[in-house]
Amino acid sequence: MSSAAGITPGYLAPPAERAADWLRQLAVFTLIATIVLPIAWIVVTAFKLPRDVYSLEAALSFTPTLENLRTVFQHPWNLGSKIVNSVLVAGGTVLLAIPMATMAAYAFSRYDFRFKQAIFLTVIASQFIPAAIVVLPYFLMFKQLGLLDTRTALVLINLSIVLPYAVWMIKGFIDAVPLEIEESAQVDGASRARVIVEIVVPAALPGIITAAVFSFTLTWNEFLFALILGKQNALTLPIGLIGFRTERGDLWELMAAGGILITAPMFLLSLLVHRQFVGSLTAGSVR
Amino acid sequence: MKLLRRIPAPVWLLAPALLFVAAMALFPLGSALVLSFRQWRLTKSTEPGPFIGLENYVLLFTDDPEFLESLWATFVFVTSDVAATLAVALGAALLLRRAGRVNSLARVLLILPFVMSPALIGISFRFFLNPEFGIAQYLIGQVIPALQGKVWLADRTLAMAAVVASDVWHWAPYMTLVILGGLASIPPETEEAARVDGASEWAVFRDVTLPQLLPVLGIVLVLKTVFALKAFDTIFTLSNGGPGTSTQTLAYFVYHTAFNYYDMGYAAAAAWVLTALLLALSGYYLRLVFRKR
Repeated sequence: MSSAAGITPGYLAPPAERAADWLRQLAVFTLIATIVLPIAWIVVTAFKLPRDVYSLEAALSFTPTLENLRTVFQHPWNLGSKIVNSVLVAGGTVLLAIPMATMAAYAFSRYDFRFKQAIFLTVIASQFIPAAIVVLPYFLMFKQLGLLDTRTALVLINLSIVLPYAVWMIKGFIDAVPLEIEESAQVDGASRARVIVEIVVPAALPGIITAAVFSFTLTWNEFLFALILGKQNALTLPIGLIGFRTERGDLWELMAAGGILITAPMFLLSLLVHRQFVGSLTAGSVR
Repeated sequence: MKLLRRIPAPVWLLAPALLFVAAMALFPLGSALVLSFRQWRLTKSTEPGPFIGLENYVLLFTDDPEFLESLWATFVFVTSDVAATLAVALGAALLLRRAGRVNSLARVLLILPFVMSPALIGISFRFFLNPEFGIAQYLIGQVIPALQGKVWLADRTLAMAAVVASDVWHWAPYMTLVILGGLASIPPETEEAARVDGASEWAVFRDVTLPQLLPVLGIVLVLKTVFALKAFDTIFTLSNGGPGTSTQTLAYFVYHTAFNYYDMGYAAAAAWVLTALLLALSGYYLRLVFRKR
């Protein structure tokens, strides 16, 4: 490799090499700017008065205000209740998904049974079912059950979205737990359930936490089902965002304030587990 | 507890997840299939109408220009989205592969767009492209004078470009991380040996790195195609399928038919066209992923 490291001081690399290095650095900075600047622009907009939003001259010279972050919590926007809904739906989904997925992942990892491969692949493949097709039956089903516009319906739907990912991710981690430590516990007479709770779960904990964060993120950002099933009681944050598109036009500064509220928790969560996050969609087949 | 002990462990371990997947994934698929053979306009009746065989499917392909246009929009969106994502992600991964403080900072930042709400990304791009005060439309206009003052979302081609760009912004960083993972698993000796033999950087990439990276690129390719076919949120919040039908992909067409026209049977048929495509792809994907083991 032709990086600057290891080159003795005073030595000047040939011009072609220096130009290539310089181009590479430029490309990396462009990449960082492409990721950071749009996010920064939204953050800045959230602290602007409307008149500064609607003029490019005021791009960076403006009087900052906390007014937008206050307004979004007031009537008619009420983002407070939408945050509560989002937390309850995402939290409820994760609390149900993780035990279910861990049990299933354990069975797929440790047992041999008939049609195992076919059943496992069906579970994994169910993540490819497009929302566009299941949304019709869900709508009719929950209408019949009287569950339209409820958080319960959203938890059930999101559970079906995250389960395949969670099963796959957790299975990868359980596969890596050595069988011997389980066997020695069983010799001591521990039941299967105790072995799972006391030995397998702690050993696979990094994977379980990553699966939980991933599931939380997917549910937190889920849009189509929340749009169709929610009316007023079960509205979540993403649906709250499109409420700022009004007859008077788009209220960008409020959208930006709402954008901060929906994004900040996900940034914090994902940075906590970012090392494991990479394998989340491909579950260890790519690391 | 006694009863529980008599049930074999795999059964009670699997039951909750499997029953749930069956009820919430397989059952709706089947019920949408049945629905696709019926006529049912929700505006006329709250009860499903008569069975009409394959008529919904025949209508889609023979007598609905809007559907055919949405097939075309899907094709354009998916191919350009997948190609752009793959190119950006591969380029970025090769760049960030080298050690260095700036590079490791960049690798951390890559996770941010992926965990952002796609609905918010769509809204933000709409804001950035606003003809009067959109920062992106202004900056692009400075670089490419032909695009100065253009109303992006009123132009068929530019609207599609905007939708693709927003999806690439959302996905390419994550795919970069996946490809970086693939690059890290390539034994460094193979590349070094080629360099010692005097191969140029390009030759090393083409003959040594790329062939070892192909399995990962295959997975990225299929996975991204699947997610592009399923894309809805950014299209809904950014362009609303417009102008006209120019960014109305199949997923959006189904939504539009079901929840704006309330034509449930017809929407179910269109949804099954999309699902058939996706299930075929998923079969291919699973083979790619599980081949190694």
